[in-house]
Amino acid sequence: MREEFTKSKLDRCISCGYCLPACPTYQLTGAEESSPRGRITLMRAVQDGRLPKENLLAESSFCLGCRACEPVCPAGVEYGVLLEEMREMTWQGRHRPLIVRALFLAVQSQWRIRILGLSSPVARSRRADPNLNLLLGCFERRLFPKVSRTVAKIAPEVSVTPAQGCCGALHAHNGELKKGQAMARVLGEKLPGVILTTAGGCAAHISATIGKERVQEFSQWWVMKEADLSPIVRQGKKIRVGFQDSCHLRNGLGVFKQPRQILEQISEYVEIPNASGCCGAAGSYSLLQRSNSRKVVAQKVEDIKDLNLDYLATVNPGCTRQLATSLKRAGLKTKVVHISELVSLAKG
Amino acid sequence: MSSSQSSPLVGQLVSILGQEAVRADLTSLEAYSHDATPLFQGLPEVIVSPRDTQEVAEVVRFAGKTQTPIIARGAGSNLCAATVPLHGGIVMSMVNMNSILEISKSEMLAVVQPGVTNLDLDTQVGKEGLMFVPDPGSRSVSTVGGNVATSAGGLRGLKYGTTKNYILGLEVVLGSGEVIRTGGRLVKDVAGYDLTRLLVGSEGTLGIITEITAALVARPHASKYGVAYFESLGSACAAVERIISQGILPSTLEFLDNTCLVAVEDFAKLGLDTQAGALLLFGDHGDSEVIEPVVEKMAALCNEVEGCRTVTLAQNVAAAEALLYARRCSLPALARLGTLSILEDIAVPRNRMAITTERIELIAQKYGLRVGTFGHAGDGNLHPTIVLDKDDLPQVRKAELAMGEIFALALEMGGTITGEHGVGSAKLPYLEARLGREQMALQRAIKSVFDPHGILNPGRLGS
Repeated sequence: MREEFTKSKLDRCISCGYCLPACPTYQLTGAEESSPRGRITLMRAVQDGRLPKENLLAESSFCLGCRACEPVCPAGVEYGVLLEEMREMTWQGRHRPLIVRALFLAVQSQWRIRILGLSSPVARSRRADPNLNLLLGCFERRLFPKVSRTVAKIAPEVSVTPAQGCCGALHAHNGELKKGQAMARVLGEKLPGVILTTAGGCAAHISATIGKERVQEFSQWWVMKEADLSPIVRQGKKIRVGFQDSCHLRNGLGVFKQPRQILEQISEYVEIPNASGCCGAAGSYSLLQRSNSRKVVAQKVEDIKDLNLDYLATVNPGCTRQLATSLKRAGLKTKVVHISELVSLAKG
Repeated sequence: MSSSQSSPLVGQLVSILGQEAVRADLTSLEAYSHDATPLFQGLPEVIVSPRDTQEVAEVVRFAGKTQTPIIARGAGSNLCAATVPLHGGIVMSMVNMNSILEISKSEMLAVVQPGVTNLDLDTQVGKEGLMFVPDPGSRSVSTVGGNVATSAGGLRGLKYGTTKNYILGLEVVLGSGEVIRTGGRLVKDVAGYDLTRLLVGSEGTLGIITEITAALVARPHASKYGVAYFESLGSACAAVERIISQGILPSTLEFLDNTCLVAVEDFAKLGLDTQAGALLLFGDHGDSEVIEPVVEKMAALCNEVEGCRTVTLAQNVAAAEALLYARRCSLPALARLGTLSILEDIAVPRNRMAITTERIELIAQKYGLRVGTFGHAGDGNLHPTIVLDKDDLPQVRKAELAMGEIFALALEMGGTITGEHGVGSAKLPYLEARLGREQMALQRAIKSVFDPHGILNPGRLGS
């Protein structure tokens, strides 16, 4: 169990507070302890022995882990890493939420992951480019198996290997940082070359562990592969499409232009207000902190409802699930899809 | 996130404000035990978040009865330890009073609650073609209430002045719990002492600001920037003097010394000339036909100065943004060189700036400290920043001694110990050297009138 934070990472924060306006939980509460700076103050108090580490539990759970604080931080604080350390320190034993324990169990071994995908088929196993392997995901294969099938269809060069584990992002974000890193390394050995993923969260975690050059998120990869897509036209008009960033893809890997580039080619692209702001899915957060997650997404729905969108594109399964559920609950007709599905439509 | 009701103080405050506006758990208290100033820490006893003036007044009356300190706090982004609860008591967070009550285009003013952020206000008035002038580096986070309480400056101080020049009226809760309204919406109003001006910069020691009427200006349409490199800070200062003595008062005249330049370049990779002794960023905004020749003239004047290496005008917005970014990221770029950065804020008459920066160098050498200096060349406001390792206690002690010498130097030059950050706790020990005994006594007397129970941010100005 972790006893200390990495000192050099904690020391980096100069407490300027520039992160406050970017933080969704600070925006909800106006409470310093629910801001990135406040949480770092708490981590420091624990490090210095002024505060028992149990006192980090509430805030380590309330934080979405969206890392919106990172791009606005002038001092370059790696808040995402500190958060993972905070959860590693606090979410142990009886403090680990039951849901997290259940999720860990579900992805513990390859066969369990394959069971996740049994009810609906994912992309079929095939050998193409040995150095380009599609990541089938754990929960994505359960929730949105169509995504991997779609990518396999529009990208014949991609190899699909059924025997692949979980990338460990789930673990890293939920108090098992070392285990999560070990899982990413195992995955990296199983899938040689570039790992192509349709989940921004997985992309950021794999990249942070085994290197940026080993992973490509779908939109990032697609814009290099094919520059020209024709517009999707319905009843004589281009379809209207909005886009929700994946927090970790944008804030962790700096990928946000590429999906927009794709959508501008194939649709009448509409930039939704605060597209870079977390939708409240935040991995397991929507399960662990249902009420807070709904508060965060409520503003998102409000922002989207009058835009008259045909589709809202995403690049991460958690966002797809959260937004699809929330938009449906609000009675909107907008369909939430992974961006690859729109690319597939454009290709006919 | 829950409040413990163990102490009678907390219980009373809950009965005034309700459970949701009162927090007293150790986690919350710890989070409010700091602001943006390093080396200062103190736990409050309770945090309250009032929603309107009446609630503020009730809490103040209660605190008066019980002799409990109250520290009003905005975003806690100040750099002078003005909001660290060194004497315990109540931290009053103003961030939930964050409404823009009115924007009047015809009167060119806005009426706001104290918790609205500087950037939010400027963005909203921008939609009406107006501008809120004060632009401290912290503008995206700092609150207008905090800006008023510290009379915040910023990058356009030379041309436009600072917060104190833009506050028309205030609503304030005094230490007695009485609510007064000073000034109003008028440009001209000399009825009585100018209490508005007295309250601006009073750092929460005279009253708690609950409403602000701020003057706005027409939003400039265009901007243009350039950069000049010099062999030394001295030659950069000569260029500044030359520009201003030509009657040019641009919105931007900022400089970085070589230490900053190197740090910024290492961090941001902007292609700066790291061999130069100083960088001068100059620029103006207004109508493009007016500012184009002004900025070109500034470039020409820089070129004439001995020791000028190169002068370049930013050809587009992106290039201008990169230049401004170089200036704005000076502090974080410097901060990366150590684990503790002590940022100071002296101001000296413009014509003493060159000699002041040279003397700061000598002080740095004397103590063996790494000091980078950047600042607002146009208004003589310098930010010498000492970067060190916070665990190296002898070095921290040396830094404190060096700071003392830098303050003394500023006073010797006819300057001041703080240009725009405020006194707070950080500079209080040096205040008497600036003001003298008589004024210190007068300040205390003034405070006792506004705050008879001595509860408003005690241990700071006027205590």
